[in-house]
Amino acid sequence: MATKARTPKAAAMAPRTIGRSLLLTLPIAFWSLLMFANPQRHSNRAPQIASLITAVFMIVLFFMMMRTGNTYRWRRWFFVALGILFPVGFIHTVMVMRGTMGLPIEEMIAGRTPFCYLPIPLLILPAAFTKSLVFPGSILPSGGMSGAGMAGMAGLWLAVTLVLGKGWCSYACFFGGIEEGMASVPPRAKLRKIDPRWRYGPWAVLLAMVLLSLALFEPAYCMWLCPFKAVSEYVAARNTVGMVQNGIFVVLFAGLVIALPLLTKKRTQCAFFCPFGAFQSIFNKTSVFDVKIDRTRCSPCLLCKTACPTMSLTDESIVRGETLMSCMKCGACVDACPKQAVVWHIKGTEVAGKPERARLLFLYAAWAMAVMFGGSIIAEGLATILHVFV
Amino acid sequence: MKLRAKLGYSAAGITVLVALLVPFFLMGQFTKGFASLGLHVDEMYSGGPKVRTIQTANYSIDIHRPVFPHMLQTEKPFVQLDWKPVSALPEHVSDAVDVDGDGQSDIRVSFDVPKDAKTPLRVNVEALNSHYQSMQNVGKEKFSSLIVRVDDAIVVRVPLACP
Repeated sequence: MATKARTPKAAAMAPRTIGRSLLLTLPIAFWSLLMFANPQRHSNRAPQIASLITAVFMIVLFFMMMRTGNTYRWRRWFFVALGILFPVGFIHTVMVMRGTMGLPIEEMIAGRTPFCYLPIPLLILPAAFTKSLVFPGSILPSGGMSGAGMAGMAGLWLAVTLVLGKGWCSYACFFGGIEEGMASVPPRAKLRKIDPRWRYGPWAVLLAMVLLSLALFEPAYCMWLCPFKAVSEYVAARNTVGMVQNGIFVVLFAGLVIALPLLTKKRTQCAFFCPFGAFQSIFNKTSVFDVKIDRTRCSPCLLCKTACPTMSLTDESIVRGETLMSCMKCGACVDACPKQAVVWHIKGTEVAGKPERARLLFLYAAWAMAVMFGGSIIAEGLATILHVFV
Repeated sequence: MKLRAKLGYSAAGITVLVALLVPFFLMGQFTKGFASLGLHVDEMYSGGPKVRTIQTANYSIDIHRPVFPHMLQTEKPFVQLDWKPVSALPEHVSDAVDVDGDGQSDIRVSFDVPKDAKTPLRVNVEALNSHYQSMQNVGKEKFSSLIVRVDDAIVVRVPLACP
């Protein structure tokens, strides 16, 4: 059995013709132009150029997915771009608005703390018991420093989750791209033996953070454990506790997002730590799309298991012909399988039925969300950079 | 085609349709739905609702309802007072404030108002009865005892003496 770490390679499917691939890309091309069309005239052309580049980027990636039959390889370009350009745009906005990446207590009291989706599961119990949201932000859609209050982000999250389920973690999360980029740097993994029990890490962190947030009435994960504070905004260190918090953020970021992905070729923060990812796994049960293994074709060579960035395939799950509920539908296993035994699937249909039809339907939904949400973030980050030149 | 497969493909088609509706309809509806749940930001951050305003010749002092911590929240109970507008405040403020509205002054609050908005603020609070805690030269170390400038107001939070 081959268990050597490999980068997923092209599946054995014959490439589509250019004409057919273009035809299949047309709906996404139309959608991208719709999302990025900006009739407003700005004195600075950077946002318009950035929107145009992003639209072309997203259309070309989708075209390549259609042409080659590969999903992961091309999605990764989008995802890494999102992971890199989100901090660029965000930090720029923060610096312009308040002149520092540190979050001062005044901004918290004023309800101007930007709200991301990661604390959503932590807010549920305190809100259920007291109707209080334990986050120093704004509820109104127009509130918050970033212009999107908690209601806006919650609405977006709910809508996208309805479509993608756990696929959020591969097509919408603006943090995961950094570690996916890191994981793709080395040609092979240096650290191959990972105790499978680490897989329960996100659930343990989720449980601990939910209970701690309820007990302390604060977003415990944001206050103590979020690695991405290191590249977004940190607690303004007004005392020793603040210094300790910031130290934890930096150590977790360096370890889980930089060092371990380089050593293991896995998305270690997502696979072993992220409580939001664990929470999002629940929505894999409500999603109509999943990934299955056609047992009549599977050898099994375990290349899919090696390729999976979140260890969502085990020997037992392969025998059962399915992924674990932590699967985030990135497509790495599907691309890695030399026998096309790992397939995209629509619940209720035959596994060996029409996997390409399932893939197409999933990709149309997922890429529409990627263009709408991730694409707008990429465009903003790109515009920030282009401002320097244009 | 079996019924289950038909249902599966129908659900997949609906999912694609839902995806198209997200930016134009669904996101807005979910956002409105969330906003209408009647939730509020925890008072440890927001300072609680305003209950009374004391008007002086040039400026006003908004008094908020006392905030009490939940469960294991590490902060003390406090009451928030807002002096505003900042532009109307004298260089040095020293006000005896009737917080609970019983006609008796409860605390004396003193602070300087620097012209530069970025200069850190410090406050002294003298408790005039046993319901409040005095503070000496306090900045913004804790949510329950602080002085900060928020937009056009200077916000002071005075800890209550624990019952």
